[in-house]
Amino acid sequence: MISSAKNHSHLLLTLVFFIVSFSLLEPVMSWILILVICATVMRTALYLELHKHAPSIRTLNLLALLSAIVLAYFSWQLGILLGMLNLLVLACSLKLMLLRSDKDYFQLITSCGFLIGCGFIFQQGIAFSLFYFALTLVLLMSLATHISPNLPLNKLIKKVSVMGAQAIPITLLLFMVLPLIGPLWQMPASKSHQTGLAEKVTPGDIANLSQSAELAFRVTFDGTIPAPQERYWRALVMENFDGESWQVSPDRKAIQRQYKGANREFSPILEGNYYQYQVIAEPTHQSWLYALDVATPIGASSQQKVWQSHEYQLSSISPLVSTFQYEIRSFPQVLLNQTLSSVDKRINRQLPEQGNPLTKQWVAETRQKYTTDDDFIAAVMFYFSSQDFEYTLQPPLMPNDQVDTFLFVEQRGFCSHYASAMAYMLRLGGIPARLVTGYQGGEQLDSDYMSVYQYDAHAWIEAWHDDRGWIRYDPTAIVAPNRLESGLRNALNEADLLLGSGFGQLSTVAWLNSLRNWLKDVDFFWTKWVLGFDKDKQQDLIKSLIGKITPQKLAMFSLGAVLLIFALIALFFLPIWRKPKQDKASYYYELAEHLLTKVNLHRRASQGPADFVSQVKNKAPSSITEPFAAITDLYIQHHYQPSSISQQQLIISRMKSHWKQLKQAMKKQKG
Amino acid sequence: MQKNLETAIVQISNQVIGKNQQIKLALTCMLANGHLLIEDLPGMGKTTLSHALAKTLGLDFSRIQFTSDLLPADMLGLNIFDSAKQSFEFHPGPIFSQLVLADEINRASPKTQSALLEAMEEKQVSLDGETRDLPSPFFVIGTQNPMHQSGTYPLPESQLDRFLMRIQLGYPDWNAEKQMLLSQNTSAIETTESVITVDEFVSMQNEVNKVHASDAILDYVLRLVTFSRETEGFPNPLSPRASKATLQAARAWAFLHSRDYVIPEDIQAVLPSVAEHRLRGSTSDFNGQSSLSEKLLDAIDPLAA
Repeated sequence: MISSAKNHSHLLLTLVFFIVSFSLLEPVMSWILILVICATVMRTALYLELHKHAPSIRTLNLLALLSAIVLAYFSWQLGILLGMLNLLVLACSLKLMLLRSDKDYFQLITSCGFLIGCGFIFQQGIAFSLFYFALTLVLLMSLATHISPNLPLNKLIKKVSVMGAQAIPITLLLFMVLPLIGPLWQMPASKSHQTGLAEKVTPGDIANLSQSAELAFRVTFDGTIPAPQERYWRALVMENFDGESWQVSPDRKAIQRQYKGANREFSPILEGNYYQYQVIAEPTHQSWLYALDVATPIGASSQQKVWQSHEYQLSSISPLVSTFQYEIRSFPQVLLNQTLSSVDKRINRQLPEQGNPLTKQWVAETRQKYTTDDDFIAAVMFYFSSQDFEYTLQPPLMPNDQVDTFLFVEQRGFCSHYASAMAYMLRLGGIPARLVTGYQGGEQLDSDYMSVYQYDAHAWIEAWHDDRGWIRYDPTAIVAPNRLESGLRNALNEADLLLGSGFGQLSTVAWLNSLRNWLKDVDFFWTKWVLGFDKDKQQDLIKSLIGKITPQKLAMFSLGAVLLIFALIALFFLPIWRKPKQDKASYYYELAEHLLTKVNLHRRASQGPADFVSQVKNKAPSSITEPFAAITDLYIQHHYQPSSISQQQLIISRMKSHWKQLKQAMKKQKG
Repeated sequence: MQKNLETAIVQISNQVIGKNQQIKLALTCMLANGHLLIEDLPGMGKTTLSHALAKTLGLDFSRIQFTSDLLPADMLGLNIFDSAKQSFEFHPGPIFSQLVLADEINRASPKTQSALLEAMEEKQVSLDGETRDLPSPFFVIGTQNPMHQSGTYPLPESQLDRFLMRIQLGYPDWNAEKQMLLSQNTSAIETTESVITVDEFVSMQNEVNKVHASDAILDYVLRLVTFSRETEGFPNPLSPRASKATLQAARAWAFLHSRDYVIPEDIQAVLPSVAEHRLRGSTSDFNGQSSLSEKLLDAIDPLAA
């Protein structure tokens, strides 16, 4: 039974548990968090001695039973991973209420360590890693305080930090050589997790994204970087329009499924100049990827995990639950005319029957004037440039006949309004057209790498040309040419900028800006080298260390790594092993001393044996005093008088018998 | 305890009443062949104690009262021209005694102080190019007034180091002082007989050197001095000379208690006297409880391996 009153180790443990549980705010159910708060308050009250009695085991058993039933009920919806996590947090909070023995304490410490590990399932950013690292140190501090409560704080901190530092090389080594196994569980992919673009675009959606400064993906170029206005990062192609919103065509999905089933991938013929680059995409819980036209994955691993479909769209085999890295090559001069034109045309001529009479009328009139497709498209583009269109993040609501309202009444909108309207007009004019969403631009941070944020989200269209295939048109570029050349920020007016608080209005302060850039660099490094360290990179690393991989070499390498880890651990334990073993006389003397503590006779740390025995003689009955005096005499003889080895052995055996005598006397004393 | 030493202690404590511990320490110091520094206010019995020691041990005794105008020659002696013999003749000073009481040592000028301290260390005196040995055994009992009294020259650390031990007498307790007032026996010193001969005392000193100090004891002493060197709060850490002095004093203390081996308690008994003045240096204050050496003792477990 251990008390929590003024027990710093318990307070630290409670603190860590509380913080960890709340860092898992999303996956842990709120009623369990309430239990966590209860347990924390309870433990803190015990620590402050506001309250003396912990709840009884009966109460806690009842509570445990009830919560187990509730949890079991909810687990059906949660799935196994989240269910288990909730169970762990619940069990820990109940254990924290119960905490009354060393065993409970150590169990809690272990479970909290495990919970910190669970945190990495949901958060892998560098800030969270540092945060969890700090929490782990606090947890170790709690353990250190528990084991040596009398040590001053600075000594404890020193001890924990030295041990932490010793663990770092071992961690690095394990990180690099341990076989990387994929996750053993299915990651939860609830709707709320989906970020970034959506599979369905209603004009106005992208405007919401534009207010988010979250990172979408990062690109590292090998060689030249395309000019800003050429950076159209294609993500999704939407070919189904219902008069209000655009979405991926169900026909297209069916075709994709067919091809995937047959394991036949669309592979366009690519030649000419190319850009080569790696993309590190942030998790979206969706499967599409980003690339410049026309792209193809490079390298075995990228080819394996990236799928090319007939809209020249790349997607990954599984949803992006964590950062996803792939290498691609883009050929900007290749024409998008390598797919079956009949299918493309059929899908991209579909029109909603209802609505937008003004647009229909306008298109019919214009189409009569311009009979060729090119002329007609030019006329549509001219319409956008000749009228007083405004590019804004705050478009007015357009509930009915959206395109009509936009084109002829409001004339204010965001990229998706322009793209949607133009694609619709072209389809009315009989030209196959589709909406493409993705990102445009990107912030170049270094000579070779750039970050693309959610506020770079963009929508444009593609129209079919019989000779040249799909041609990209961007009506936004006509209305707000700045949007392409210098990014969204410059294309907006003041009011929009104030509204768009998401992205760096701080960029005017120089040092903040450089700090921001530095943090971005650090984050990039972290993502690329720590989070992006996968099986392939590990293999590359091993290859670069030992050359060509053969089974013998690999075995030697693994053995070497294991030995190195053992050597590092040994380095830590060596001082303990090398400590001279205590001699037998001291051992028996200490045993006797320990026996005396049971009758409340303690030797002061600075007290000598002769001094102590006289103190004992004053306080204890002779049945105890006599054997202890004999032990002390022998100890003094052994330690301070000149004696031969044979004498010493005799002394030790006599000490042993006196010690047994003392032990029996103590038993009698108690009985 | 050694029989005749016991008698000696009883006899001395008749003169200096109620100061048994200090008397034992003083004897210990002499058994260890070291010089003694007694620090206290005037009238506490410093001189009485030294007198009693000299008489009891049968040592010839002289007293030098230190003043600021005392010159080294006044203490060491000087060559005087004898007109009858047509040669210089040496007239030894009061230092040529087996036990010298250097009273109020910190009143003398540094020059005289250092002459005394040199004699203490070398056990010989150099005068006009001639070296003369001091008698054997040779002890100096220095007495010192508290530093804050006026007209004092504090002994530097290097010279304090020459004294094996420093003790303080302090006020006697109620009963002891009452007994002292009752006895009114001022001439007791005159009647004191020596109980130990000089030869016996010298052979005792040789016995002290044979007292066994085990490895465990040496480790304990080393742990103590190392702690003073490695821990903050000790302005003057203990020197190797101090560790040697501690061990030697502990041996004498063990001998005084009829043991031929040293136990940790011996170290603990002598350490405050041996180490405190070295730890404090010249900033020492007489009423300072031996807190630095006690701090040292408290920090180290004598039994730890």
